[in-house]
Amino acid sequence: MAGDGLWAAMHSGSGGKTDEGHGLPRARWVHRAYALGLALLCAQPACARAEVPLRVMSINVCADQLVLALLPPQRITSVSWVARDDADSYLARAAARVPANHGTAEEVLRQHPDLVIAGTYTTTATRVLLRSVHYPLLEVAPAESFEDIRAVTRRIGAAVGATEAAESLIARMDAQLAWLAAHPPGRRFRVAVWNAGGASPGRGTLYDAVLTAAGAVNVVTEAGYRSFDTEELMRSAPDLLVQGASGFSKPGRRDDVVRHPLVLAYWGERSVTIPESLYTCGTPFSAEAALRLRRALEERSAVARRPLPYVGSVQ
Amino acid sequence: MRGWGVHAVLLAATALLAAVSLFVGTVWLSPHEVLAALSAPHPDLAALIFMDIHLPRTVLGLLVGAILGLSGAVLQGLLRNPLAEPGLLGISEAASLGSVIAVYYGFASTTTLAGPVFGLVGALGAASISLLLSRSGSTLSLILAGVATSSIATAGVNLALNLAPNPYAAYEISTWLMGSLADRSWTHVQLAAPFILVGGILLLLCGRALDALSLGEAQAESLGINLRRTRLLALAGTALGVGGATSVAGAIGFVGLVAPHLVRARVGNRPRRVLVPAALAGAAIVTAADIATRLIRVRPEISLGVFISLVGAPFFLWIVLRIRRQTT
Repeated sequence: MAGDGLWAAMHSGSGGKTDEGHGLPRARWVHRAYALGLALLCAQPACARAEVPLRVMSINVCADQLVLALLPPQRITSVSWVARDDADSYLARAAARVPANHGTAEEVLRQHPDLVIAGTYTTTATRVLLRSVHYPLLEVAPAESFEDIRAVTRRIGAAVGATEAAESLIARMDAQLAWLAAHPPGRRFRVAVWNAGGASPGRGTLYDAVLTAAGAVNVVTEAGYRSFDTEELMRSAPDLLVQGASGFSKPGRRDDVVRHPLVLAYWGERSVTIPESLYTCGTPFSAEAALRLRRALEERSAVARRPLPYVGSVQ
Repeated sequence: MRGWGVHAVLLAATALLAAVSLFVGTVWLSPHEVLAALSAPHPDLAALIFMDIHLPRTVLGLLVGAILGLSGAVLQGLLRNPLAEPGLLGISEAASLGSVIAVYYGFASTTTLAGPVFGLVGALGAASISLLLSRSGSTLSLILAGVATSSIATAGVNLALNLAPNPYAAYEISTWLMGSLADRSWTHVQLAAPFILVGGILLLLCGRALDALSLGEAQAESLGINLRRTRLLALAGTALGVGGATSVAGAIGFVGLVAPHLVRARVGNRPRRVLVPAALAGAAIVTAADIATRLIRVRPEISLGVFISLVGAPFFLWIVLRIRRQTT
């Protein structure tokens, strides 16, 4: 459940706004006005679906990554504002070079792209409007595995007419994964993801796949995201903690939990960090997260091999 | 002697709940295990979880609950209004606002004291605005000023949510606002305890004045009670205590309102007699609720503030109905 909430929050292109526009008569009227505006837009020649959409607008941070990686800036009308935040977005620099949007229908009207790419969890109001006037819209579900990543990358690549670029991104990712599989680590360390957002990833999540690819064993074995507190961390006694480095330019409550005295005492030296932006979205760059994690695990292997001082007496 | 009986029962109940709270958690401990672990020469899992996770959590629950119950009792006496609680005067909301600002604008990462200090500044700010606006006026104007302050503080918190630097920050703020004692450490106890204790002492000093106030403001003044001094004591005590509590445990509502009502039926209506039992009842409520959030095995853990309101409000309604039936 926490995972779902986090996921929705993370991929929110509009900062969590979900005013769906029905209920009040006035809201319905506004809804109709936008629908009419969009329909008129669609009546213009530009909307008469070109074989390859010339200009693409993305209103979801994960779709943003692929659009930015696949298309030159002049073919991108805008990406979501979250894409400029280097804590969540791997291609934040590239995103700063194109306009930003907040995922609203007004912006679609104004920018008039040939294709809108959205996530399946966020910007509901905009998606409903676009669908109702048959505006060219591609809705992409979040990728939760490397297999999903290949599928999503191919889908977006095909939709924007960049099939070759998509295939080369996938090939690069597969080469990195193959290298990791061909060079297994000396020892598979037991690790826990300690993001202190309260939720740790288990089976079936992309993060778990990244850990496995890097050659680590996740101590959280249940499916999906679940809360994982200090007590459980103590009991499961992982060799190393994996923390997401979000640059920590944005302070937050999580810093406080990460600094629990017990965690500092036992895992202060046993922590590795990988940038969150590499795995919050399932993109071909997630293999990079596995590579960096492998390197970090090897750097810490001397510490990780030592048993934790409190383990052994009770268990 | 009826009063002492109530004290003893409440004290025993609180102690029992606190004892249970020491062993319950995502990792359950048995007393036998803990004894063995504490006597062992090396730190082991049970001892660490007991001493550094369960114990600070229990202590914090007792402190937070006690100060909420006590401040509710004092404010209900001071304002002679059964609906009074720290939230009514905007003190808890302003403390939340202070803490949110401290955490999300980076002050808390430079010094750990920033969280409680900002919480206190917020709480004291709200208390002094209420005091200033009602300086020459009646109790009613104090309540109205409090309601206005409360709205401003709530709007401030919502503005912080609105302007959150990223979706994650908004998620964290809203989670924190639900109130929780999970993963708190001795650091948090050290930060909050001094403020809660000083605030508690100030509140207890109001006792005699509150008794006199129950006769009416003019009568109390003719008895030699300095009304302004009493208001100052009560609001400063509430601000210190609730500000400290809110800055480490988040916003926990309802306890301040319900704890005095729970005990009033047993100890009578004299405000001074309600103070200590209300503090004990508050401590027991928060500890019991905190145990319940750990017993209910849903993931993620239900937040303490949410649970107290969810379960406490229907229970409170039941009490109200029962009291009404008894009086008619």
